Amino acid sequence: MGIGSKVRRLALLAGMAACAFGMSGAEAAQKHKIFLSMSYIGNDWQAEAANMVKAMAAHKSLADKVDLQVQVAGPNAQRQIQQINAMVQSGAEAIVVYPISPTALNQVVKNACDKGVKVFAYDAEITEPCAYNVHIDQLEAGRVTAEWLVKKLNGKGNIIAITGVPGTSVDDQRTKAAKEVFAKYPDIKIVGEAVGMWSQAVARTELSKILATRNWGDINGLWMQVGCFTANSMQLEAGKKASELLPCAGEGSNGGRIQMLPEGTEVEGAAAPYAPAGAQRISYASPPYSGALALKLAVEAIEGKDVPKTTILPLPVVTNETIKLCNEGTWAEMKAGCNVFKPSLVSNPGWFASIFSDQTPEIGLNAALVGQPEN
Amino acid sequence: MSSVSSPASTRLGLRRALMRNRGALIAAAVLAILLFIVDWISAGPLTYFDVSFLSSGGATSALAAIGQTIVILSGGFDLSAGAVISLVNVVLASSMDPMAPGASILLWTAVGIGVGMAVGAFNGFFIAVLRMQPIVVTLSTMFILQGVTLLVMDKPGGFVSPDLGTFYLGDAIAGWLPMPLVVIGVVLLAWFWLKGTRFGTALYAVGSDVDSAASVGINIVLVRFAVYVIAGGCYGFAGVFISAQTGSGDPLVGNPLLLSMFAAVVVGGSRLGGGQGGPVGTVFGAYILMMVVNILLVLNVSAYYSTIAEGTILVLAALAGSLSHTSVLAVQLRAARDRLAAWRAGMLPSQLEPIDRRLKMAGPPNGQRGPASPRPAFRLRNAEALRYALPAYICLLAIVIVTQIWLGRAIFNPGYWNSLLVLSSFLAVLALGQGTVILTGGLDLSVPWTIGISGIILAGMVNGSDAALVYALPVVLVMACAIGFANGFGIAYLGISPIVMTLATNGILQGFALVYSQGTPAGFSSPMLRWFMTAKLGFVTPIVLLMIIFVVAAVLLLGRTPFGRRVYGIGNGLRAARLSGIGVERTLILVYMLSAFCAAIVGVMLTGFSGQASLGMGDDYLLPSIAVVVVGGALITGGRGHYLGMLGGVLLLTALQMLLAGTTLPYATRAILYGLVVLGAVMALRERRLQ
Repeated sequence: MGIGSKVRRLALLAGMAACAFGMSGAEAAQKHKIFLSMSYIGNDWQAEAANMVKAMAAHKSLADKVDLQVQVAGPNAQRQIQQINAMVQSGAEAIVVYPISPTALNQVVKNACDKGVKVFAYDAEITEPCAYNVHIDQLEAGRVTAEWLVKKLNGKGNIIAITGVPGTSVDDQRTKAAKEVFAKYPDIKIVGEAVGMWSQAVARTELSKILATRNWGDINGLWMQVGCFTANSMQLEAGKKASELLPCAGEGSNGGRIQMLPEGTEVEGAAAPYAPAGAQRISYASPPYSGALALKLAVEAIEGKDVPKTTILPLPVVTNETIKLCNEGTWAEMKAGCNVFKPSLVSNPGWFASIFSDQTPEIGLNAALVGQPEN
Repeated sequence: MSSVSSPASTRLGLRRALMRNRGALIAAAVLAILLFIVDWISAGPLTYFDVSFLSSGGATSALAAIGQTIVILSGGFDLSAGAVISLVNVVLASSMDPMAPGASILLWTAVGIGVGMAVGAFNGFFIAVLRMQPIVVTLSTMFILQGVTLLVMDKPGGFVSPDLGTFYLGDAIAGWLPMPLVVIGVVLLAWFWLKGTRFGTALYAVGSDVDSAASVGINIVLVRFAVYVIAGGCYGFAGVFISAQTGSGDPLVGNPLLLSMFAAVVVGGSRLGGGQGGPVGTVFGAYILMMVVNILLVLNVSAYYSTIAEGTILVLAALAGSLSHTSVLAVQLRAARDRLAAWRAGMLPSQLEPIDRRLKMAGPPNGQRGPASPRPAFRLRNAEALRYALPAYICLLAIVIVTQIWLGRAIFNPGYWNSLLVLSSFLAVLALGQGTVILTGGLDLSVPWTIGISGIILAGMVNGSDAALVYALPVVLVMACAIGFANGFGIAYLGISPIVMTLATNGILQGFALVYSQGTPAGFSSPMLRWFMTAKLGFVTPIVLLMIIFVVAAVLLLGRTPFGRRVYGIGNGLRAARLSGIGVERTLILVYMLSAFCAAIVGVMLTGFSGQASLGMGDDYLLPSIAVVVVGGALITGGRGHYLGMLGGVLLLTALQMLLAGTTLPYATRAILYGLVVLGAVMALRERRLQ
């Protein structure tokens, strides 16, 4: 029974803490109360997106306007429904949400809209018409990358496809669009296909399984949603020279982009396989700045500006022709065209490098890394 | 029985009723306290709207957890619950016509429950009629259903009539009673009716002791079959409810509900393993878990810490539910007091004079045995191990032959065998840890984030330097031992059920990993570690050579050491083990330390294999680590199994995945095939007919 009373005492303390929070909230009454409801935080993309949203909220243009609170629902759509309801209850003016499911939230979002709350979904989509959506065109992503690969192979060859998380709209659209392109070229054959779960580690396991009964020599190209960095590393391990790496259409990880730089380029902090290799690549991404942009748009919407219901972000595409190393990664520098960061700054090769947007001069590399806005 | 009962006997009866329903009562009390806390810390007073909203939020998991409770009461285990919910959701969403003016609530509810019961009948057939182990049957069903769900609907969408939502989320009595509570109430009433029937008694009897139940004439097969059908109906109902709540279909919606369902069952006071508890407590358990999330939300606890808080609360809830004179913790405290008293009195065995106190045995004097009986043949000595381990290897052979015919380049391709062994190495190491835990009758659910945090910390410390590996590796392994010690201590000394303890540890570790890495793990593997996992010496990757040593060591550890014999002893009967002088607590702690140690090694290996560590890198290894152990012939309730059998299971599942990866079959078909093969492989492991 001692434990019971201890729990109760803890609860009392917690309650007092909450009251204290409530008081500090009162002086911030002039600020817009905005909530961020994230999905799982267990991957690089989500962590970066969260950092960039926080940086956006901390930028001097928004800091005294926005009171941002962050919640995480995990992979559980039910929990997100609950959280959004609770946010509406506690007086949110806008909710920025990474929707776990494009459809499961419709009713709760509709309920929020009816109470005048602006709901902004980033990266993925909410199909409820009253929600604002900020994302890239996933069909375009699948199509552009597949077309690039077909062109590199001159319309002929065996390819391996590594897809994303089965059962999600994003994966479905990208894969479908890509397969439509491949279907137009009878000489392009998909000889192996696996589910990559948008993870470099899974991509490696799946590629190893496929290659157990095949040789790199039988394969002419790779179409992957995530995993080109890994595929290139595996080819180097298998004894291929950098110049023999297969063309790979895939994700926008910093590691993959460093490999795109011409072999022998001097890059601070590079160590194989996280090093320039002149890999033939097209690198695209669902950019992690979409959450930050959604926040900015949400504030505009609260202030009465006219914000379109759907904001389709330009697809960030980098090829060997456009790859350029950043020195510091400020927004101004990225504006001038650089799109990959030194390993000495970004030690994690799986980190997503597509962080530049014309519309978000408030955030640069430091925003994505540590949540620090530009000056 | 007498109509006039004395006050004393009424009090006794009341007391007994209280004792019997302790779990549920405590859960109800905790829920009330949580409600009070929510009322206190949220801005306004708790209104009817809040209650209505909270009741609908927890209803899906409460309904599903009721089904899970019934299965657990009968001594079973059902991993297919989440998949059934997804399946019902997509079936409803894809077959309702958006153009139709209204939807019949009765019809669609019946469809949902019917789908669930059909799946339950499938499970029940294999478990009850063919006497296969529930965990592996329902695991296969889970894979099969995930495939079927994706065939029905490959992406979120579809339409569920708003009529369903209006009905299930509305009010039964406007302003007083929300519908979800009525729905749960009706299900619970049905349960009370069922419990009062002969079937209800039989259900508890089967869960408490199958053999006694059979010998008093209970039809075990029928009871078990019915249990899974009823449970399937509950999951189906939960699927209907979530469809009403979301108004659409999503093929992934049910999967994350699975683990929290077990937590709800345990928090509600039911005992994993059967015979004790009931769905009422589970309903409270499900709502407790939901309220905890809400409280964290209101307190605005940083996202990184929320899994830590949830894990801690889970442990506290389990502890609070088990506080009594007879709980393990109380027994341990009394034992410690007795030991202290004995030490004071100088009566501890270690304080006594070391003289031989063995009983004098009549018979041949020591050292001289009677005429040595001839050693039985190898086949006979190892009959049991062979019977349970061979099926995995026979299936493996079949898979390899199919691979050769379908894809070519398998049997005569050294690269194929090398890949098979490298890819198997992760599960082979995990199988020793998880397998040993299962041999003692436990389960280690903390494997995923033990792998994750080990990999992340190693990669962060090593950062590409071989020299750093020298101290990073021991640090990580020592940390893993500490994790295992915490698990084992909670289980052995605090009496927390292994599933709850390790589930909580998993959540806490996840939180630590997030805080440590701030969401993006830094650093990468050193060249030497990468060399071990990916280089080739001729046709062989160095890790394969290490694996051979590991396998030999594992076989010796479980088969030839006192530790191994104690593990089997505990699995065969805790009480018997204790009475024969096995230090049960110490052994259990060592077992969980071994499991965490193995998981940490896998974390290190995966870091070397991928070149870096990532959050969630261990998530894909939890269910396979259990599956391989069972496919390899181990009994999930403990006491039976051989490491070589488990290794066969590892090789079989890996070879199967390699075969499926080499084809261009759609993912849905692969999932179904995978489930079917696992099911087929364990068909041979069926228990013999009860005498």
